[in-house]
Amino acid sequence: MTAEQGTDRAGDVRWALLTGGVKGVGKKYSQDCWAAKATADGRAVVLTVADGHGSAAHFRSDLGARWAVEEFTACAEVFAHEAVRVGADAAGWPELRAEARLLPQAVGHRWHRRALFHDSNTPARGAAPAQRAAAHRRARGRGAPDLAAYGSTLLGAVLTEHTLLCWQLGDGDIVLVDDGGEPHTPLSSGPDLGDETDSLCEPEPWRKTRTHWQPITGGPPPAVLLSTDGLSKSFADHQGFLDFATGVRERAAEQGLAAVQGQLADWLARAAKYSGDDTTLVGAFGARRDTSDATGGHEPHE
Amino acid sequence: MASRPVHFIWMLDCSGSMSVNGKIGQLNFAIREAIPEMQQAADSNPAASLLVRAISFASGASWHVGEPTPVNNFSWEDVHTYGGTDMGAAFKLAAGALQTPPMPQRALPPVLALASDGQPTDDWRAGLRAIDSTPWGKRAVRVAVAIGDDADKSMLKEFLANPELEPLQAKNPRQLAAAIRWMSTAVVKDASTPKVEDAKPATPLGPPLTKVEGEADIW
Repeated sequence: MTAEQGTDRAGDVRWALLTGGVKGVGKKYSQDCWAAKATADGRAVVLTVADGHGSAAHFRSDLGARWAVEEFTACAEVFAHEAVRVGADAAGWPELRAEARLLPQAVGHRWHRRALFHDSNTPARGAAPAQRAAAHRRARGRGAPDLAAYGSTLLGAVLTEHTLLCWQLGDGDIVLVDDGGEPHTPLSSGPDLGDETDSLCEPEPWRKTRTHWQPITGGPPPAVLLSTDGLSKSFADHQGFLDFATGVRERAAEQGLAAVQGQLADWLARAAKYSGDDTTLVGAFGARRDTSDATGGHEPHE
Repeated sequence: MASRPVHFIWMLDCSGSMSVNGKIGQLNFAIREAIPEMQQAADSNPAASLLVRAISFASGASWHVGEPTPVNNFSWEDVHTYGGTDMGAAFKLAAGALQTPPMPQRALPPVLALASDGQPTDDWRAGLRAIDSTPWGKRAVRVAVAIGDDADKSMLKEFLANPELEPLQAKNPRQLAAAIRWMSTAVVKDASTPKVEDAKPATPLGPPLTKVEGEADIW
């Protein structure tokens, strides 16, 4: 895990990225996947995390999470270029927001297409005629193909100097920490009971995707942190989790992002001991430019 | 940081018929014998803190172990038979415990484990509705064992709330012990698996309680 910086060649903001993920306690491998990268010549950042469900019924969810991240990143990069082009021109924002609302549908279609293609080649429910017939019957009953084996959540964000867009399907957390250190969770749907989640494997998952848009009209953009539910569920209460998010931003400001990046794996591993789940965190921190000329990012990573 | 609690509630039939052919004694024995394995299962899932309680029901229902007890401190005092089969009353007691509060919002789905050998003698559907009307009751993992041939299996199936599942069937002490052992452990191991919203409750499938050669059905 490394801290990365993206350069905005014409803009005012320099981005620094934070990424980390650990496997759940006692698990053979992680079903989380994530990506964080600067794009549009360093003038925008794309962040995404996906949490494959991981239980026996979702035995291909590592693939589902990887495809979720890849497809979101592909769609979000196109969107990020458009967001950079529109910039501070408020007249272009309504159209940008309309595109933001359509993005989950594009991602959902692409994800479903990949899952269907994979399943048609290697049927998750077995290739024997009787098993295939049973799977088709179940699918007809549901009115949609059975893609539960690939089930995954998806969280994503696109951040530019002037706009912030976030999308969330299923559990996990998006925390914005403003310049004053105040945390906000604009897409929080309240406390989860148990471990129920919406999923990409459901029919028309975009209908359950929550979207947040905010203009950035002065001061630095907020720190944006995306994490899978393994992190927040390790805290005794929600406030503890928010304090952690605030602490990450404070430490990044005081000690530098490299120091935070160096400790992140240990923090996440400690959290995973309590939640038992794979635990992933990605973040973006914007600062008004001094001088820097490095671009970088993290391609999909499990 | 803290792991999340799993509230496990036994609901045990202590009606008069449970005294026939030593059923109540075997049930007490099976639960006591299952405790170490329950503790092991809990240890193997550090993300879950297992808290155990028990309701006994016969003529009315009462908390046999009312305090949610960490499994490592849990010990078993025998239950005794005393009358009818007021299962609905037991369900209502459980429903009260599944309200939030006293149940925390931050928890793993609770487990409702039911053992019965007969027909309910009160309005059990009202009790089941009370469970279903609580947020945690709807999400509870439910397991059930029918002790002997006289148990109301269709009612137990309704309790499970999943058409794909059947109650376990125990017709002799060995089968009862196996069922109780499975109920005590499998659901605890399964406690922190994610569930896709709108899916059926993901109660794990029970073990096939096969007959050992030469073994007689005594219940």
